[in-house]
Amino acid sequence: MKNLFISAAFVVAALSMSSCKKDDDTTPTSTTGTVEINMAHRWGNSTTNFLLNMELVHPMTNDTLTFTTFKYYVSNIKFKKADGTWYTHPESYFLVDLSTSGSEILSIPNVPIGEYTDMEYTMGVDSLQNVAGAQTGALAVSNNMFWSWNSGYIMVKAEGTSPNSGSGSFAFHLGGFMGTNNVVTTNSVNFIGNSLTITGGKTSEVHMIVNPAKLWHSSAPLATSSSIMMPGATAKTMATDFYNGIMFDHIHE
Amino acid sequence: MNNANSPLNDRGDNFFRMKHFLLFSLSLFLLISCAKEKIEEYDGWGFYKPSHFPEPHYKFEKNNLTRARFDLGRDLFYDPILSSDSTISCAKCHAQTHGFADHNVNFSLGVNNSIGKRNSPALSNLAWYPNFMWDGGINHIETFSFAPITNPIEMHETMSNVVAKLNASSYYKDKFKKAYGNPTVTDQNLLKALAQFMALMISAESKYDNYVLGKTTFSAAEKNGLQLFRTHCASCHTEPLTSSFGFANNGLDSDFTDDLGRGLVTQDPNDNGKFRIPSLRNVSLTYPYMHDGRFFTLSQVLDHYSNGIVQSSTLDPSLGIGFNFTTQEKQDIITFLNTLTDQNYLANPYLSEKKK
Ligand code: HEC
Ligand code: HEC
Repeated sequence: MKNLFISAAFVVAALSMSSCKKDDDTTPTSTTGTVEINMAHRWGNSTTNFLLNMELVHPMTNDTLTFTTFKYYVSNIKFKKADGTWYTHPESYFLVDLSTSGSEILSIPNVPIGEYTDMEYTMGVDSLQNVAGAQTGALAVSNNMFWSWNSGYIMVKAEGTSPNSGSGSFAFHLGGFMGTNNVVTTNSVNFIGNSLTITGGKTSEVHMIVNPAKLWHSSAPLATSSSIMMPGATAKTMATDFYNGIMFDHIHE
Repeated sequence: MNNANSPLNDRGDNFFRMKHFLLFSLSLFLLISCAKEKIEEYDGWGFYKPSHFPEPHYKFEKNNLTRARFDLGRDLFYDPILSSDSTISCAKCHAQTHGFADHNVNFSLGVNNSIGKRNSPALSNLAWYPNFMWDGGINHIETFSFAPITNPIEMHETMSNVVAKLNASSYYKDKFKKAYGNPTVTDQNLLKALAQFMALMISAESKYDNYVLGKTTFSAAEKNGLQLFRTHCASCHTEPLTSSFGFANNGLDSDFTDDLGRGLVTQDPNDNGKFRIPSLRNVSLTYPYMHDGRFFTLSQVLDHYSNGIVQSSTLDPSLGIGFNFTTQEKQDIITFLNTLTDQNYLANPYLSEKKK
């Protein structure tokens, strides 16, 4: 009996040892590869790169805008294999922040090798994480993407200056995860016959085009509305127009 | 104060047994090297569910209770380092001697003597709160402290600055290491430590509690007051926590432009003028009363419920045109409300400022 306890104890010890080890070990092995989703930002239908601190004219509202902040969340990324099964990347929360270079590349390690036909991703932060308490990484409150007085994530933050707004500036903090104000949107991409191949130890790229001008696709110009600070109908329209305007461009293996 | 049947204490005991088991196999050192989740025994300090309380809302999931984390939270609660000019601590507006409410002032002063439009509420039994603030806008005890720290009229600081200040302090680096196994301060650990301190603010040893538990008797006036309270007040100030944590308009105003209350959060006009029903624990000491601190005495509060109800479209129907209490009835209700004062809580050494 005692011996049994001792050997059991060693098993426990071994387990606790391995659970101590932080598994940040993301080096791809031969059975998995990495996918990098590259969010390229363009303004309007043009090939103009979208950058902060650059004067831009909106193709529909004709407003002149200079963005100083542009940040948004992408989460829960999944890939569908040719056989119909899904690979879901656990805990994938990404904060794309135009002032932090590199944040536009969403790196997803440990994707099993194979042929993938579809990708699914969520724009925003799912309701569960909005009520889950203090988080870390992309979801840490110090990223200033969390409403302190009305709990919930700011899922898109766009701020800047404009001669067209009454105050000379604009600030759109878009979010909401409950009921009719829920902006969280799941989008899917079909790679259209051109499947994504994950090769062991290699990185494959998915290129997406993100167009911040879509925020005003069906919303009023800045002279009418230049600030949103809480969930609501207008926030929902702006966020979903922006989310739905995100397009798959190409795969690069 | 001890309650050996609490599920959290059970967890502590199990852990303790497991610890001996591992010691036996000489692998304790492995455990120490990753003992970030160590749960300590209950020694008068600790979390417990009073036997007459419902299940707590906050269960320390992903934030296992440890003495080191609690101690860190306690230090932070009393330290003005959380404010931008290092002048204002949480305790400045939430004083233990007054049930962790601000005393004597309707509106507390924040950094640069800035002033808000809401009264600092009393704090107790926060682990049972499903939401926080007079409008219920905050949904989690862990994210709570982000609000006062960053509010320009309170501590007016940024999270990244607080984290930087704490990372520059050898005292706190040591404290964070003891609490979370890593000396690097993060906003997540800071918030979780404060949540542990707040969740252990348990007030359950008032005369009222002892009466409910059959440990003491009430005078005739206290009994009559409790009876009246149960008839007229307890539908909102639900026992034993003395709040249902719902939202109601208790007839203070008919014009809500100064503060929409719950309507600010839901943007539903039917919620304008509604406020989170406050707990009445230690109420004799938490004056002034109401979200804007308009009443300085319980006698004024009782006059309000008796004959001062202001009609409006969102007024709670149970208040009607007021209860038209007799002077004796008002006096008896106040006598009863005084039994909610918990001297052990007001003097609980674990909740007071620690000498560093
Ligand atoms: C300048 C004064 C001030 C400071 C400093 C302050 N508070 Fe408060 N506290 C208030 C006020 C005022 C409210 C109510 C605000 C509201 O409802 O909008 C409040 C509300 C609360 C509540 C919610 C109680 C309830 O009934 O829902 C908690 C919990 C709390 N504070 C804890 C803290 C902690 C922890 C700190 C430090 C990190 C802190 N406070 C710092 C004034 C202050
Ligand atoms: C319809 C629900 C409801 C009923 C019934 C009710 N209250 Fe209240 N009570 C509230 C709300 C809501 C508040 C906070 C209102 C505000 O500040 O705007 C409050 C505030 C108070 C306060 C102030 C607490 C503080 O810390 O500021 C006291 C004291 C109080 N009530 C006592 C009573 C008594 C005694 C009765 C019975 C005679 C009673 N209440 C009946 C909803 C109710």
